[in-house]
Amino acid sequence: MRTCYQSIRGYLSTRSAVIAGTCLILFQETQASPQKSLNNNHAIKSLTTCNQRAQTISGTVKDTNGDPLVGVSVLLKGTAFGTVTDAKGNFSLRSTNDSGTLIFSYVGYLSKEVNFNGEEKLNVVLQESSKELQSVVVIGYGTQKKSDVTGALSSITTKDFAEQPVNRVDQVLQGRATGVQVTNASGAPGGDVRIRIRGANSVLGSNDPLYVLDGFVGADFTTVNTDDIESIQILKDASSTAIYGSRGANGVVIITTKKGTKGGVKVNYIGQGSSSKVIKTYDLLSAGEFAQLVNTRNTILGLNPAYTPQQLASYQQGGGTDWQKEIYRTAAGQEHQLSVSGGNEKTTFLTSGNYVRQDGIIKNSGYSRYNFRTNINTQINDKLSFRINATGTRINNVNNQLQGGTGNPVVQALAWAPTTPVYDATGGYTAVDPVGSLKTNPVALLYDRNNLTQNTYGNILGGGRYEFIKGLSLDLTYGIKYLNQQNETFNGNVVTTNNPTASRTSSEQITYQGTNALNYKHTFNEVHNIDAVAVFEVQNYNSTTFNATATGLLNPSLGFDNLGLSKSASISSDRSNFGLVSYLGRVNYAFKDLYLLSLSVRRDGSSKFQGNNQFSTFPAAAVGWNLINENFVRNMDLFSNLKIRGSWGRTGSQAIQPYATQSTYSTAIVAFNNNSLTNGIVLGNPGNPNLKWETTTQADVGLEVGLFKGRLNIEADYFNKRTTDLLLNRPLPGYVGGGTYASNVGEMQNKGWELSVGGNILNTSSFNWSSNFNISNVQNKVISLGGVADMLFTGSNVGAAYSTQSEFVIVPGQALGSYWGLQYLGTWKPSQATEAARYHQVPGDSRYLDLNNDGAITSADYKIIGNGIPKTSLGWNNTFAYKGLTLNVFFQGILGVDKMNYSKAGAMTGSADARQVTLTDIRNRYIPGVNETSNIPAFSKTDIVYAQSSRFLENGNFVRLKNVSLSYVLPKSMIKDKIRVKVFVSATNLWTITKYTGIDPEASNVGSSSDVNQSIDYGAYPNAKVITGGLNLTF
Amino acid sequence: MKKLIVLLAVAAMAATGCKKVLQEDLTGKVVGNDALKTQVGLESALTGAYKGLGSTWSTGFFHATATGATMGGDDITTHPGSNKQEFREFDQFQVTSGNSRTGNLYSGCYKSIQGANNVIANYKSTTGDPTTINIIAGEAYFIRAFSYYWLTRLYGSIPVLTDPNFSLDLLKIGKTPPADVYKLIESDLKQAETLLPNIKRDFGRPNAGSAKAFLADVYLTEGGWPIKDASKYALAATKAKEVIDNHNLYGFQLVDTYANLFENDPTKNGTAEDIYNITANTANGGTTEANYGWSAMPGDIGGWDDFFSELKFFNEFPAGPRKDKTFRLTYTKSDGTVLTWQQLATKHPYYGKFWIKGDVANWASSVPLVMLRYAHVLTIYAEAKARSGAPDQQAYDALNAIRTRAGLPVYSIGSLSASAFADAVVNERKWEFAGERTRWFDLVRLELVESANANKDPGDLQPIGTITKANYTFPLPTSEVLANPNLK
Repeated sequence: MRTCYQSIRGYLSTRSAVIAGTCLILFQETQASPQKSLNNNHAIKSLTTCNQRAQTISGTVKDTNGDPLVGVSVLLKGTAFGTVTDAKGNFSLRSTNDSGTLIFSYVGYLSKEVNFNGEEKLNVVLQESSKELQSVVVIGYGTQKKSDVTGALSSITTKDFAEQPVNRVDQVLQGRATGVQVTNASGAPGGDVRIRIRGANSVLGSNDPLYVLDGFVGADFTTVNTDDIESIQILKDASSTAIYGSRGANGVVIITTKKGTKGGVKVNYIGQGSSSKVIKTYDLLSAGEFAQLVNTRNTILGLNPAYTPQQLASYQQGGGTDWQKEIYRTAAGQEHQLSVSGGNEKTTFLTSGNYVRQDGIIKNSGYSRYNFRTNINTQINDKLSFRINATGTRINNVNNQLQGGTGNPVVQALAWAPTTPVYDATGGYTAVDPVGSLKTNPVALLYDRNNLTQNTYGNILGGGRYEFIKGLSLDLTYGIKYLNQQNETFNGNVVTTNNPTASRTSSEQITYQGTNALNYKHTFNEVHNIDAVAVFEVQNYNSTTFNATATGLLNPSLGFDNLGLSKSASISSDRSNFGLVSYLGRVNYAFKDLYLLSLSVRRDGSSKFQGNNQFSTFPAAAVGWNLINENFVRNMDLFSNLKIRGSWGRTGSQAIQPYATQSTYSTAIVAFNNNSLTNGIVLGNPGNPNLKWETTTQADVGLEVGLFKGRLNIEADYFNKRTTDLLLNRPLPGYVGGGTYASNVGEMQNKGWELSVGGNILNTSSFNWSSNFNISNVQNKVISLGGVADMLFTGSNVGAAYSTQSEFVIVPGQALGSYWGLQYLGTWKPSQATEAARYHQVPGDSRYLDLNNDGAITSADYKIIGNGIPKTSLGWNNTFAYKGLTLNVFFQGILGVDKMNYSKAGAMTGSADARQVTLTDIRNRYIPGVNETSNIPAFSKTDIVYAQSSRFLENGNFVRLKNVSLSYVLPKSMIKDKIRVKVFVSATNLWTITKYTGIDPEASNVGSSSDVNQSIDYGAYPNAKVITGGLNLTF
Repeated sequence: MKKLIVLLAVAAMAATGCKKVLQEDLTGKVVGNDALKTQVGLESALTGAYKGLGSTWSTGFFHATATGATMGGDDITTHPGSNKQEFREFDQFQVTSGNSRTGNLYSGCYKSIQGANNVIANYKSTTGDPTTINIIAGEAYFIRAFSYYWLTRLYGSIPVLTDPNFSLDLLKIGKTPPADVYKLIESDLKQAETLLPNIKRDFGRPNAGSAKAFLADVYLTEGGWPIKDASKYALAATKAKEVIDNHNLYGFQLVDTYANLFENDPTKNGTAEDIYNITANTANGGTTEANYGWSAMPGDIGGWDDFFSELKFFNEFPAGPRKDKTFRLTYTKSDGTVLTWQQLATKHPYYGKFWIKGDVANWASSVPLVMLRYAHVLTIYAEAKARSGAPDQQAYDALNAIRTRAGLPVYSIGSLSASAFADAVVNERKWEFAGERTRWFDLVRLELVESANANKDPGDLQPIGTITKANYTFPLPTSEVLANPNLK
């Protein structure tokens, strides 16, 4: 027989006896369950009996879609005779009897018994099994039977996202894996995304998970074409991730790509087109209403009116600029994918090409990706196999980087006066807004500047495996990850006020990896199952960067393509290296599939550290009890699965950049006259030679329950993580030169629970409804700052003039991401006039909590006013199938988060660089004698706006109809039966339930590199509503 | 056996290269004090030491930080709304520790002090041309003195560091009172005046005359609040006289007309009147000067309304060519409409002396920011001479040179008593240096802040609460006190 369950094909094929032609297999025992046949495949004894005289029974085995199933085991019941289906799903078997029963079994499908009684041909359809226990999952440096797994992992396979138009790994992970939180910080195509597994462990370092792509540790997930993905495993608990040692603390995402299958050549084409629009926009004042309002406000402030009565009348009749309309657009997108796969008995291959192009909903932004992948696996003989996996990716980013602050077109669209035209009398961009914003014209920000990045990635992985004796094998993998990044920027005359600049940056990053693994698998006395691995691994990273920046371009139209034609140019270059050396080992032991034990240890050494801190050890242990295999549970006839597991382990996080232990100088540019520049050096952050790894210790308990013959599956986990030697950047006071001092002083805790419920709710012959719900919760708490300070402050540098203090505080006993600000108490009401006077204010002015009651609002009145790190994430995926029609409805949500809405602060207060109010909400402001209940402050000379207050901190919870899609497989009657055609339409981000008053509760200006200050919205690039249509052809 | 060989080969591969992989490669990095062992390295460190004083929108003086910090003077005010909350805090005597305007000055001065400390600590062991090395050291002493002078005038008692090396103990030090800060400033400037050459190495660097001029200014300041050491006035006069007597040697002189003095031509590197400039060049974003142009222009014509004249100040300003250059009275909008200052949204006259030549509509320029002028030296001499005895011919000449250029009648020698002469000088400085970050410090050292802000025009922003000596300096930035509670 052949086991072809996709994720394990490469590993198990060596051990499967492949019988060709008319030879039959003799099974030692009759097995109806595919689970059993896989469990014990090492025990299969084969015997060939040829040319027996008998009658021939033949037929075809297909799946419910009508696709032939290759390698299905066909067994004549009550005998030892059987065969497997060929590449077209055909089988043929000789029997000495005219009638009998055939047992069809196939991994991942329900076994079926079919009676025959002299028929010429049997047509058999196998149902996919809802049980996933028999499946094999990829774990770190190996694979494991799902039922043997002792760690906490989430699995995603192609079918979990096949119905939805996804083209990046983060979109696959979002809402589909328990314990994984995915936030689209930027709605820009190809934009930044934050992915967290069980929360954030580190303040200073990256909290991004470690990506392992077909064995390459530290891959870049953006290069992966989702159509190439076969499965994704998310390792969450320490017993699973400790095998990745110093890089495992943030969880590990193992991506396995599709391989070719034996028998014939299969061609698949997917094509789709899409149309995107911004999910919503702010309600802005019309030009007439705005002009009237500005005049009203000016008069109150003692200023001359900005508009004459004639101007006012003319604006009130119409006209003006809708700045939001000027920056957003309906954007088109398309994707094409072509893959060819196949193979013979020894060699399989898959090659695919993919093209994605997505325009952004903000004008002049977008993303395109070309991807080419090919893999070849070949079995030289019983002992030796080779594989090679090569990927090339080219990504073009057009103005899709995160933009914070006042140079952001989304912010400026809310700040520029509707009375100011986009273009001036000469046809150029209006350079200055005389009434509204002090900053650049938003449309000029789109077209008079460019930031283009072209990334070329290569990932080549070659490996070989040699089996010395049965069960003992050596597996060598060598890989290179390559990234060439070309960045080009241009800022034209309008954006720079007539000092155009351009730059080019070229960088190259190469990571080499060598992994040498020795595996041993054996079953002793048929009950003691041992699976052990020992690995030695080295990684080396090198990067170089070169930058040239030109200022005062003589011919701005030449942009970054002729930097020499400029008044001045500066250059810089840099180099960075680090290396990691690792030794690791793991033993998995199972007793009768009942009691499970896993022990592992990894020792990592890194060039980033000095002396005794260079090496660290990361141990882990896990136990599991497969109660379902106990007779007393089986006898209850209630459960289809029941397992309890627990684990403990230690992992590290490389929160430190290379050279952090050194005090280095940085370059400073000084002008000693008006026509030259001089480069000098300034002291950077002082180095700390005693830096070491952050260590996270995690305990996890989990329960897996299957009920109703596998139609309802529940998995629940509780975890508790404690990070010690937490790296903290202690902000240094200005008088020592400023900057920060990194040291391992703190301690932090993340604990939480995860629940996933999957059910096949309805299953009739024509209608099927399956549903998966998952929810996870993480509670973060800072335990200690190591006594270096009572509290540490950190700012986002996004809010500019709106954040006069650091916006975030890290303080023991509180969660990371705590907002530091004033408590807004609404407006002073007429009855509080006396109290208001104490603050030199009048009713209608903003009222803030005076914590120390000293009669003044000062930095002493700041306190924690909320938290910006989401606590709960959930996903609910539903698939309804009726004949060839499939409807998929997918909800995703993030709960327990506060968002700081600086966009609104600017547009509602007319403070900082936005000098006027532009939102219609201002109609409801406090107006003395007219509207004295409003908590929107009145226009007043004495009012003081502190945007960094609870006034603009909003509830950022949301639940979103992330995707709804409908697909239809064309019936065979309509097309040639060799071709399978599926057509689909889909809508993304169609509906959002939220109290957040900004455009998008999900979008933020802070990139994935930071967790503390992640929920700041100051013109964040909003996510789009997308309608997609496409087709999928297979032949 | 074959298997064993394979295993051994793998083990061998594993062992080789480990050491090398774990060795941190410092190629391309500038690390440690060895960087300053050569003259080139020392010069680079000196260049870096200037950076803190001028880093656009970040630290130092390149944007309206110093102008904001001196808004308590009766010469400038700001917009009553818009984004000027932090400026208003200074104008209305309600400065909070979170005010980012002083924060930028504070961190810039200390960044320059760190760089200067590094040069001063290392120059004696640097190999190279001794003459140049001494000049480098002289500039470092100058920068350190300049920075501490600004810091102590803004904040009073401040942390003082003279060692560039970092240690965690530095986060526990206390504040040094102004008297001790001034001792260091005097000592540094005395070093600088001996080490510096007579001719500036470049427009943005000091010469020996610059050091002497600043020393004279420091002495004058020490004569008043908070040091109140009257013996310093004589020292101020002597030091200012050294500059005046040798003005040709140092290349300092009064520019013929006030209009030419504030021509603000970005293609010129200031004027011969400049004692020390923070120079700028728009060729780099971080070296761009932002005090001229939009900062001083009204919003009606695209400006930023950062600062403009107080009404009473404008009304009392003596007429003449100096007043004509100091203020701009009509403003042309983009559509050609011409507004008077009364028609502007803010109803205030703006400082034409800070507009860029040709009324360029921009915030960015290469016009240097003048931190001290030769006219300052003349008035320092005149005032100090009067306060340390009686004004002599040279004192009258000094004052009259400035009045003549301003189109005002001269004082004949002996026409004023010593104290009346000193008052006349202070009054002259008020008009001569309007908006030039001078008036506020004159009011502070002479304890005139309260009276100067007592009778403001009703159309101007009014002080909030009562002005006391506590308003003479500002609270240290919040970040400092949080990082080191001993600075409370």
